[in-house]
Amino acid sequence: MAEAVMESIYDRGFLYKLRAFFGKRLINIFAGGLFTLLAIFLLYPITAVLIKSFWGEDGFTSEYYVEFFSYNFYYWSLLNTLILGTSVMVILLVIGFCFAYLTTRGPLWSRKTLKIIALLPLAAPPYIFAISLITLFGRNGLINNLFNLNFNIYSWTGVIAAQCLAFLPLSFMMIENVLNSLNPSLEETASDMGASQYRIIRSITIPLAAPGLLKAALLVFVMTIAEFGNPAILGGRTPFLAPDTYLMITGEGDFNMASVLSVILITPCVIIFILHNYVLKGKGYTTIVGKPTAVEYKEMIPGIKIPFMIITIAVGVMVFLSFGVILLGAFVKIVGVDHTFVIDHILNTQANVAIWNSIKISLASGLFGAIVGTLLAYVIMRGKFPGKRVMEMIALSGFALPGTVIGVGYIMAFNRYPFLLTGTIWIIILNCVFRFVAVGVEAGISKLHQISIEIEEASADLGADFLTIFFKIILPIMFSAFVAGFIYTFMTTMMSLSSVIFLVTPGFDLASVYIYLTAQLGELGLASATTVKMIAIVVLCLAILKIIAKKTGLDISKKQGA
Amino acid sequence: METQETPMLELRDIYKNFGDVEVLKGISARIKKGELLTFVGPSGCGKTTLLRIVAGFATPTSGKVILDGEDIGSLPPNMRDTKMVFQSYALFPHMNVRKNIGFGLKLQKWPKDKIDTRVEKLLSLVHMEGLGERAIDRISGGQQQRVALARALALEPKVLLLDEPLSNLDANLRVVMREEIRNIQERIGVTTIFVTHDQYEAMSISDRLLVLHDGVIQQIGSPMGIYEKPANEFIAGFVGYVNFLQGIIDTLDEESHTLVVSTEYGKLELNYEQKDIKMGDEVLLVIRPETLTLSPSHGTEQQNTFHGTVESHMYAGNLAKYTINVEDREMVVDQYNPKDSEHFKKNDKIKVIIPRSVHMLKIGEASEQ
Repeated sequence: MAEAVMESIYDRGFLYKLRAFFGKRLINIFAGGLFTLLAIFLLYPITAVLIKSFWGEDGFTSEYYVEFFSYNFYYWSLLNTLILGTSVMVILLVIGFCFAYLTTRGPLWSRKTLKIIALLPLAAPPYIFAISLITLFGRNGLINNLFNLNFNIYSWTGVIAAQCLAFLPLSFMMIENVLNSLNPSLEETASDMGASQYRIIRSITIPLAAPGLLKAALLVFVMTIAEFGNPAILGGRTPFLAPDTYLMITGEGDFNMASVLSVILITPCVIIFILHNYVLKGKGYTTIVGKPTAVEYKEMIPGIKIPFMIITIAVGVMVFLSFGVILLGAFVKIVGVDHTFVIDHILNTQANVAIWNSIKISLASGLFGAIVGTLLAYVIMRGKFPGKRVMEMIALSGFALPGTVIGVGYIMAFNRYPFLLTGTIWIIILNCVFRFVAVGVEAGISKLHQISIEIEEASADLGADFLTIFFKIILPIMFSAFVAGFIYTFMTTMMSLSSVIFLVTPGFDLASVYIYLTAQLGELGLASATTVKMIAIVVLCLAILKIIAKKTGLDISKKQGA
Repeated sequence: METQETPMLELRDIYKNFGDVEVLKGISARIKKGELLTFVGPSGCGKTTLLRIVAGFATPTSGKVILDGEDIGSLPPNMRDTKMVFQSYALFPHMNVRKNIGFGLKLQKWPKDKIDTRVEKLLSLVHMEGLGERAIDRISGGQQQRVALARALALEPKVLLLDEPLSNLDANLRVVMREEIRNIQERIGVTTIFVTHDQYEAMSISDRLLVLHDGVIQQIGSPMGIYEKPANEFIAGFVGYVNFLQGIIDTLDEESHTLVVSTEYGKLELNYEQKDIKMGDEVLLVIRPETLTLSPSHGTEQQNTFHGTVESHMYAGNLAKYTINVEDREMVVDQYNPKDSEHFKKNDKIKVIIPRSVHMLKIGEASEQ
């Protein structure tokens, strides 16, 4: 027995040496390949945008930037975007805090319900709220008609309301996380010393949560200014950067100006991304490690509970109404006008073709996204090569960059050799793969954090070479991260609008684009019916992610983007 | 050193730097066939790095690793005939017990029925019969430890490497597993290197200890040798409590094997056991607490006694621990079997009797071997 073992261990022929040589370097070979892909499909389009914004017919020029800041139509678009981001950020900080405070410290009976309400918008693409707000408050809107109001939803109020509803889950999850991680004994001590509940919230809870609240606020800001659908549908005459970029290309074909708008839109995102990942990282007063201790907080006094409840219930009613009218709109002729049951919206062939196209595209990008994400995570975690951090940063940046900007970048970068992709479905798939790969990478990294490097060393110790370790040990263990990455990418691709709207060709509709276009045309029934189908698919995906999270402890459902 | 036979493993002048930090500074050692040698030392002493160099996970900056007569320095871990049990056990979470143990055999392309018989044998060796189909997260920590051991033994390694294998177990289980590992190791006679930072664990499991500190071997020797004849102050303090006492050799009589040391508390007449001690040498006496005896101060005057008062005492069942104040200096005395000995209270005046056989360290001399 022993001889057999020894013979094969010491049989070191040429092939074995070759394998050992490549085995050692395989991770670097992978790294090189992945780096090339990231460079082509993320760096190159962004660089193309940057260059185009400075490159006129006579070479380098700053005339487009000068133009941007000379016409109020342009710079108001920037100011409006910043005002929008700031207002939504402030409003959601308050609403998110009310929800999170109640779900962590409020009455037990209300916690679960409020949590579900706050997370409900995750089940739909952000622009669903534009459609439901039009259905409710539009010219023929349900509520406008019911109460004979003359409320104009195509306004600042409409855009802000829609964005607040859309990004409520993001704000809530981050703030809840912060409030959960505060050591309850600090609040107890303050109460013990005789501080009132107002006092405790003001001088203990909020200061301790401040770094986390700041992070939540910044993320909400970025997501809001990058969102395309709601301002595009509800913005009316008010210019915003994301929709203007789109119009600049579809309406005027002005790629230089579209690039300038993109660069201006991307700047705050990049600043916040860096702040978020490198400056604020690890900051905070997280005083509990692991699960929060089972502490029962004192009952909230009415002076706090009642205003918090009023805010959350009002928001909750809006969330339910929004989903309700979408569901209603899918099955009646025109909500608020003619409530006869119709099945036409659901059966519309064009809509169903669009859904089917979306499913195909999403399956493909889910699969590639999961593969690329898993490999990237492995290479970033286990590889030893210069530029690793840069690689990680590029891989994660896709998430932070506004979809419109990447969309503009893709049409400019891939409409000529050597990467002629315009008009094919591959440009859409690759766009989604690399925009959403960040989540797959993060899932993979967090899974790899759970796997001790000793597992890999143990397999090497037992005689396995690199390939064997990768296929027999790493891949099976990372499978849950792979599946989670797949589902997540599938789901976000389904809902994605801002980027793909630049890339679809006439005659090839995607569900998200179809919803946007029908909503623009006022075909709310069709838009609602398609949204309902999309919600059904997203809910299914979320359920699968939840099961994965339960079974393997790998939770990536706490991410949002579309 | 002691024997002429070729060692199973030889480390020759191993240096290892991490950047500017020298972690190992010239380690040389020979490990005999069938021996259990423990690398022990405080954390950061380089013991794990040394083990990883043997396994092939770390490359020495210079020096050689010779396994059974062959220089294996250039081989990757998967081509070395050393197998390791990891601190975290590193069991494959997606395989059951049987598959974990058989993993290496499968890589060696053993036929399935042979793997099965071998795994069965190993399961019974580690007392886990019938648990082969269990998932890894469905067995206890101690059982995981056994699986890791069986998995490493499956390929019949020339040297078995154990990296702090007991550190994840609770105190009671640690003692059980320690005995079990020693038992199995002796039964199959596999040459073994054991790494731990726990000096008691090291003493109780090993044939020999290699004590590392600051990247240098402080001493290699049997547990008894290390405890009773420590090579330097570090070793003496590392393996148990010690009362140090400084002195100068006053007289030295080879005939009667007697020497006299004068200390700040008076002269002590001791056995002359260490031939390298000369007249006039400054020495440090290594006095273990359990070698000291206490007696009431009023009794008959004896040789080698210091007078003092009881400063504090602590009863721990199998022993009573006294702290005695001798001229403003503390001495610790362990009184074993306190049930049958005389008890003393705080502030009692007492005598501390120093035994005639005391190990001495020469002061001002390089302590390395």
